[in-house]
Amino acid sequence: MIETGQPVDREVGRVLDVRDLAIRINAHGQQVEPVAGVSFHLNEGETLGLVGESGCGKSMTGLAIMGMLPPGGSISRGSIALAGDELVGLGERAYRQVRGNDIAMIFQDSMTSLNPTKTIGYQIAEPVRIHRGASNREALERAAEVLSMVGIARPRERMGDYPHQLSGGMRQRVMIAMALACEPKVVIADEPTTALDVTIQAQVLELLDNLKAKLGMSMVLITHDMGVVASRADRVNVMYSGRIAEIAGTEDLFSRTRHPYTRDLLASIPLLGQDRGTALYSIKGIPPDLAERQSGCRYAPRCQNATAKCHEEEPVLAGVSTDHLFACWNPIDGEGVRDQSAQVQIRSAITKDVPTKPRLSLVHLVKEYRGSSSAILGRSLGSVKAVSDVSLTIGAGETYGLVGESGCGKTTLGRMIVGLEAPTSGKVLLDGKSISHVKGRDARHRQREIQMMFQDPYGSLDPRMKVSAILAEPLVIAGQLDAEARRSRVAELLDHVGLPLSALKKLPHEMSGGQRQRIGLARALAVEPRVLVADEPVSALDVSIRSQVLNLMRKLQNELGLTSLVISHDLAVVKYLADRIGVMYLGKLVEEGTGDDIYKRPAHPYTAGLIAAIPEPDPAIERGKPAAGVRGELPSPISPPSGCRFRTRCPMAQEICTTAEPPLAAIQPGHRVACHFPLSAAEAPGGANRAWQQEPHPKRLVLLDE
Amino acid sequence: MVRYIVKRLGTSLIVVIGISIVVFVLLHFMAGAPGRSVLGPTASADAVAAFNREHGFDQPLVVQYLSYVSEVLRGNLGQSFKLNQSVSDLLSDNAGRSAMLSLAALVLAVIIAIPLGTYQATKRNSASDTALTGVTFLLYASPQFFIALLAIEIFSIKLGIFPSQASQSNSPFVIFTDPVAMALPVLTLAASNIAVFARYQRSSTLDQLGQDYIKVARAKGVSERGIIRNHLVRNSSLPLITLIGVSVPSLLAGNLIVESVFNYPGLGLLFINSLQREDYPVLLAYTLIGGVLTVLGTLIADVVLAAADPRIKLS
Repeated sequence: MIETGQPVDREVGRVLDVRDLAIRINAHGQQVEPVAGVSFHLNEGETLGLVGESGCGKSMTGLAIMGMLPPGGSISRGSIALAGDELVGLGERAYRQVRGNDIAMIFQDSMTSLNPTKTIGYQIAEPVRIHRGASNREALERAAEVLSMVGIARPRERMGDYPHQLSGGMRQRVMIAMALACEPKVVIADEPTTALDVTIQAQVLELLDNLKAKLGMSMVLITHDMGVVASRADRVNVMYSGRIAEIAGTEDLFSRTRHPYTRDLLASIPLLGQDRGTALYSIKGIPPDLAERQSGCRYAPRCQNATAKCHEEEPVLAGVSTDHLFACWNPIDGEGVRDQSAQVQIRSAITKDVPTKPRLSLVHLVKEYRGSSSAILGRSLGSVKAVSDVSLTIGAGETYGLVGESGCGKTTLGRMIVGLEAPTSGKVLLDGKSISHVKGRDARHRQREIQMMFQDPYGSLDPRMKVSAILAEPLVIAGQLDAEARRSRVAELLDHVGLPLSALKKLPHEMSGGQRQRIGLARALAVEPRVLVADEPVSALDVSIRSQVLNLMRKLQNELGLTSLVISHDLAVVKYLADRIGVMYLGKLVEEGTGDDIYKRPAHPYTAGLIAAIPEPDPAIERGKPAAGVRGELPSPISPPSGCRFRTRCPMAQEICTTAEPPLAAIQPGHRVACHFPLSAAEAPGGANRAWQQEPHPKRLVLLDE
Repeated sequence: MVRYIVKRLGTSLIVVIGISIVVFVLLHFMAGAPGRSVLGPTASADAVAAFNREHGFDQPLVVQYLSYVSEVLRGNLGQSFKLNQSVSDLLSDNAGRSAMLSLAALVLAVIIAIPLGTYQATKRNSASDTALTGVTFLLYASPQFFIALLAIEIFSIKLGIFPSQASQSNSPFVIFTDPVAMALPVLTLAASNIAVFARYQRSSTLDQLGQDYIKVARAKGVSERGIIRNHLVRNSSLPLITLIGVSVPSLLAGNLIVESVFNYPGLGLLFINSLQREDYPVLLAYTLIGGVLTVLGTLIADVVLAAADPRIKLS
């Protein structure tokens, strides 16, 4: 057994060595310890993943390495050595020489991370000026060089641009350019792609990988996404509640998992190939509150394997070799939860063979937002085509999933269905009757029949209303129940979503994110709607909470026979929840089919590219994957491309794609696709990936009509 | 840009016409025919009627308004019967001095408030921040005449540094030629604006300090001073531009008090005196100037904001 925490000679090849790092934060007279004794190292040229759920201390660790802890925060013990030089206790002036020069950091949100009133040229040149003592001219010269290195075309012309003139993906490239301008030894990337769409995420991650190799850097990749880690990291640190739970090589971590938390975390993530027939594994409870004192293993209260010892004594990070360490008294031996027999079976409410009668139909639905126009001259600057002629039908009791990247119009579609937006043209039919543009009593009727569950569980609940009032409000509006009946209905709802009656007296901020989302679901179900529209229902939740809510939604769908529309950017979530899936791109429905149609036999090149871009939490799949999926960026919805809207990013685009818009046509019963050259079913899914493998424009592809 | 400004000036004109109608009608109901007030209580009823007829005050309100507007468009703002001088002459004699006083106070307020607010925000919740917050609240809460009298009591009577009366020179540039005599009026006029602007600057700076780009600048190795100078101040001052724009007309109101307390011959003093003399043509013109300044202030603020913030396009 090798135990850490003892003085070991500085090893060669370690560019960063963190030992027993603890951080204390004083806030409002309270002391918390978000990081409590963390040790790890970063080898030269490697990518070390730092993963965990929110509040586990991963970002705080990154900031500590940068010497940038928030006000009130300090390193209470431990050491951080950069190539043998101690950073803890370094003076502010000396630390500034390190930041941006030896260690650089890339942050999550590129919109707020760039100064809105400075040109990107200035912002990239700034560290060069500071650290290299370069003149303005030289620094700008270097900025242009780095800008071209991160794949921005005509960098010299872009230097004078301001951040708001660039797309999200381009801004993230600028962020990377800024961090790499001085060729640092270590890059700390804190959720570098979390704010990006999957296709852009894949491009950015690939760029980071390439630059890392080219410049000989090492990288700490902080992320909550096990898929990103599986595809990009050499080694992984799993953190839980300010401590490291497990350190291992990526392959080892996924295939020979030792810590129960790692196993549970991996098991909670819905996979693309997930069997819909079984419930997702879910970790009970919520992560511990940092302010609360707790003895023993921090994970013990949620751990299946916990014994008395776990609650009393804190385990140390140890293992049979230094390559694979874990902090657990009862380590597991590599088995995954997915293989365990204790899986809950979920019976699907409707049998697929019997077509149910249509409950909700969208007929040629169009939504255009008028662009900013001048009121006096009456000149319109073009309208944003958010949804362009979408027709689809959802059967009674069916769950329909809508996926697509941001800007594809999926949320607008959902808002039109519940009546928060009026369609520009087309209509929404509920049981054959139009519910668009209705007023008065009919509008109230629609409200009762169609309810919505929102993405942000905090923002969508009135912060000053107690749960009892939140849940009773829709019942009061519906006006069918007296006070007594309302009370019992509210209690029934809480029971449905698995919350105790004591929750009634709580305010939204007194609950966890998962509990709040349960309240959001309960509120939507209060008036027994026939249709539920759920817009990104689990996007704001942590992985372990996400699976709890997903399971709950599956359970309720079946029990209540609810018809629902689930909108998400996450194909795995949609595939798990939905019977049928529609894929949207730039306001258009481009493909529709069952989960297996979409995942196993994608016919639209966009669908195939989207699937190829999704990082799966399995290194074996990820290593075998070709280069990132869909190339390029989303065209402007103000003037979408002629013909097929996807043609500007499609590797298979031909002459006809620019002139004729492909209709949504069935290639198999129930599987419709809008493409002139749909991919052959025999080729997919590997074939679908292969469509994206051959760069830049493969002419030889197996097409249906060949 | 030019097109935008022309368009905005067009809409501004509509606003100013609206203001003029409201003010004209209000004054009419307050004063009606001014014959009696001009000629005094001893004049005969016939003389009053003759005066009103001669100056068109017996005409219907609409006709009176239209003839007033056509005169204004020709540059004639009417006649002060009390002073027997054209209103235009009266205003142009005094406007320059008032404008310089207001401008000096405004510039001083901005020069003091931006560093003050920024300092407070960067030292948030420290003893100095709390103390300065106390001072700014005190300034904010104190009526201007009170500040003026206090300033005279302390600086003029007790300490004898500054005179209690402003310069009586006719030059609009007395601020430069006799700064000592102008110190108290300018400071008094600036005081409450310093308080308002500094509070605003403080909260806007706090907002910006929480933004990620500050963290990014730090991660690049930029010094704290560099962050404040190169990244923070420009962004945090943007909201202040609009505030300064809308506070231009309030300076005019401040002038009323400051000019009368320090006996400074400007528009404000003219207005007060005209009010006591019931000299309505002057009051009407002064109110119109207020309206024009309001409109111009916001227009200038919008243009300056567009120049300072690349995200804003005027179109």
